[in-house]
Amino acid sequence: MNQRIRRLAIALLALYAILFVQLNIIQVGRKATLDADARNTRLTVRTFNDPRGEITTIDGTVIAESVRSDPGSEHPWKRVYSDGELYAHVTGYYTFAYGATQIERVANDVLAGRTAEQQVNGLASLFDGGNTTGTVVTTIDSKIQSAARRALGEREGSVVVVDVRTGAVKALWSFPSFDPNFLTTDDDDLAGDIIRYLNEAPGDPLLANAYQQRYMPGSTFKIITTAAALDAGIIGLDSVFAEESEFLPPQTTDPITNYKNKVCGGDLIEVFRRSCNTPFARTALELGPEKLTAATQRFGIGESLPFDLPRSAASTFGTSDFFEDNLPLLAIGGFGQGNTQMVPLHMALVAASVANGGAMMKPYVIDSTRDHDGRLLDRTRPSVWKQTMTPESSKILTQLMTEVVKNGTASCCFQLANGVQAAAKTGTAQLNGPGEPERSHAWIVGFAPVDAPRYAIAVMLKGTNAEISEGTGGRLAGPVAEAVMDVALTR
Amino acid sequence: MTTPDYSIAHRRRSIELGLVIAAGVITAGAYTLASLGKNSVIPPRILPFLGVLLAVLLAAHVAVRRLAHGADSTLLPIAVFLNGLGYVMIARLSERLAGLQTTWTFIAIATFVVVLLFVERVNDLARYQWHFFGAAALLLLLPMVPGLGFSSGGARIWVNLGPINFQPGEFAKLALALFFAGYLSERGSLIARGTRQWGRFTVPEPRDLLPLVGAWAFSVVVMVGQRDLGSSLLFFTLFVVMVWVATERAGYLALGFALFAGACFAAYHLFDHVQTRVAIWLDPWSRYDGKGYQLAQAMFALGSGGTTGTGLGLGDPTRIPEAKNDFIFAAIGEELGLFGATAILLAFVVIIGAGLRTALRTQRPFEKLLATGLTTILGVQAFIIIGGVIRVVPLTGITLPFVSYGGSSLVANYAILALLIRTSDASARRLGEIPDRPTIRERWEARRARRHERAPS
Repeated sequence: MNQRIRRLAIALLALYAILFVQLNIIQVGRKATLDADARNTRLTVRTFNDPRGEITTIDGTVIAESVRSDPGSEHPWKRVYSDGELYAHVTGYYTFAYGATQIERVANDVLAGRTAEQQVNGLASLFDGGNTTGTVVTTIDSKIQSAARRALGEREGSVVVVDVRTGAVKALWSFPSFDPNFLTTDDDDLAGDIIRYLNEAPGDPLLANAYQQRYMPGSTFKIITTAAALDAGIIGLDSVFAEESEFLPPQTTDPITNYKNKVCGGDLIEVFRRSCNTPFARTALELGPEKLTAATQRFGIGESLPFDLPRSAASTFGTSDFFEDNLPLLAIGGFGQGNTQMVPLHMALVAASVANGGAMMKPYVIDSTRDHDGRLLDRTRPSVWKQTMTPESSKILTQLMTEVVKNGTASCCFQLANGVQAAAKTGTAQLNGPGEPERSHAWIVGFAPVDAPRYAIAVMLKGTNAEISEGTGGRLAGPVAEAVMDVALTR
Repeated sequence: MTTPDYSIAHRRRSIELGLVIAAGVITAGAYTLASLGKNSVIPPRILPFLGVLLAVLLAAHVAVRRLAHGADSTLLPIAVFLNGLGYVMIARLSERLAGLQTTWTFIAIATFVVVLLFVERVNDLARYQWHFFGAAALLLLLPMVPGLGFSSGGARIWVNLGPINFQPGEFAKLALALFFAGYLSERGSLIARGTRQWGRFTVPEPRDLLPLVGAWAFSVVVMVGQRDLGSSLLFFTLFVVMVWVATERAGYLALGFALFAGACFAAYHLFDHVQTRVAIWLDPWSRYDGKGYQLAQAMFALGSGGTTGTGLGLGDPTRIPEAKNDFIFAAIGEELGLFGATAILLAFVVIIGAGLRTALRTQRPFEKLLATGLTTILGVQAFIIIGGVIRVVPLTGITLPFVSYGGSSLVANYAILALLIRTSDASARRLGEIPDRPTIRERWEARRARRHERAPS
């Protein structure tokens, strides 16, 4: 019997060896796969039960923080967004059941204290119960951001302010917005209902329209057409354009008209400040599909913005092949109509690149990250995204845009305090077809001061009501840009 | 004649004392950590807890010291360690169940002492093999009695006796091991050699085989009828192993496996719930919203535990259905990681080692077979449930010995432990490692006999 008992021992030992191997396969080998499974809530729960660091503005306003929950709450910490609506599109939200968005999502590891550096730094505080959470400092300036909200009021649209030299986003405001504090409720079902409601609400409050949505840019696009033509050498300050009220491009019987069918023409400064359409339609056709689309690509059109927040949109123009067969669309694309669509943040970058000698900086909203003790973890280094035009072209465009403010479409409404000179281009994007009621977006993009540019701005008011649809970019968007830039230039 | 050296037995008891105290301290430490992890407080009654715990453990140790001085030194500490770790996990999952488990632990350790007290010569039990056979049959049939038995979780394995519910199957396995050991130690060689010619084969007398096959078939049929696949598998393995060890004929092993394969095939085709078990074993993920949920959660739990675990009280094992019971191994794997789970595996390997060493050391066939059978019960039962939880074999609900929540299981397993310790002690006695003094009952009977002689009627 003894021999059988020994064999039994070996057999049982083998069974346990199998258990041990399988245990290793699950707990070590498949750990990553299992943790990543969407149905596995364990990691979320654990992370959710830990505090997170703060998100602040560049001037030190705390816009997101973790505070102790009320007694009896399901989770020990609660995320609080002070003035949540104002910063919602920057901070995003952090929920138990519906994930996280914006900075809460992209900077999750820093906020939760899970970067390697924080873990190493945190080893010392492991024993005195300290936490390892990190802080995210945004480039947003609370005063400029507030000014943007005040100036836009309850009109749908976006305001973006960027630093022309760095690409740092100083204000990123869209109306309507939402209050992320409503989503941090313990009641997951309620949070789900609110998210569904916001998803269907008019104006897409959950979407950061300033960088996640694109709109027809209207005449503000003439900056790009002009830059392309200047670079190509087909126009210059000495160019003169025919006085005409309409122009018939090839492949169509439908003529292109100026705003309100006015007769419009003259030298480059004249047609730019009055925003005639026919000269830019002719210029676009003269450049031809290949050169104009190549120029738009130099502006980054067609690429998602290299922003440090998730899911940024891409501006669109069209392909060279398409325009070969649709030259009328190329012509109207030359002044920002037709298929042309621009992201508001992108339009601010276009203005900024004019102010920055043609260098378009990568936009960013995370200035730096710091550990719990305030030590710097990482700082965003500004970098050039695109060289959009030659420095010479940018000088001419600055001159053209300054004339727009001095004597052109923005002269009514973009006069900055203390005699600071601004440069700008307005746009009124025609959305309605012929015979339909007027519907248009109102735009202005610009920068100031002209002699030493600091900030560029893009203001877009959506053509969702009669007031906006019947006005022009200069009259409607101009005052918004003026109010915001006046605040920005005091910072 | 030299003075016998009893120091080896004394040393065993010292080792056992040290290990038992270590198991107690580990339990109290884990209990404190779990409370700190879960509620960030040191449990308010930690000192009384430690006191009561050590008192109970010392009581068990003193019982072994007094009643089975020569026994193996590792069996009790390992059982106590598993019991303690299981208790910590149960307390962490539910405070209400922790209270009940405390009571059951007291009763189980009392049972342990009582078995050591009453079973003085383990070989004597062979005499009662038919009583055990009857008891096993009765216990297995109890849940089928209308008004007495009831189903829970799909298996009709429960009996309601006034205030308490118990699973007679847990005790039936003990009775069956005792019956098999008794019967096979007597007839094993007869069955092995065979006396009847059947074609080219020499086969045993049907008369000799009948009770064995009857016992096996009875238990399997009852278990399948009660939908308790885990116990059915355990009884089957116990039967095959014991017949094989007793007869030393590999043919019985082959026959056993063939029967087993046939039974599996039949069960798979006859019962929907068996098909479901196999399907979720192969792929719990596609049935995540149904029957696969439990296994998927166990996988998530083990994965999130990783190598070192989340820490006691810091994981999320309440998400696993039945974490206190069949799935307690996944809960331990989550909070104590691969290290903790491996410790549980090693504990069972040590039990198997100590149990089979006991079987090897004794010369008596009955004791050999009994120790083999009891060790097989503990080792295979743990394998079936751990393997089920970590998807080595299809999941069949059964408790993890000493660890899972449940009174019947705990009491039955401590009884098994007491018998193993008693057997181990018996061989130490015969090997001269401790003095072979008369037992309490023998002394008492001798005194009665003397008194009887002195006072003739």
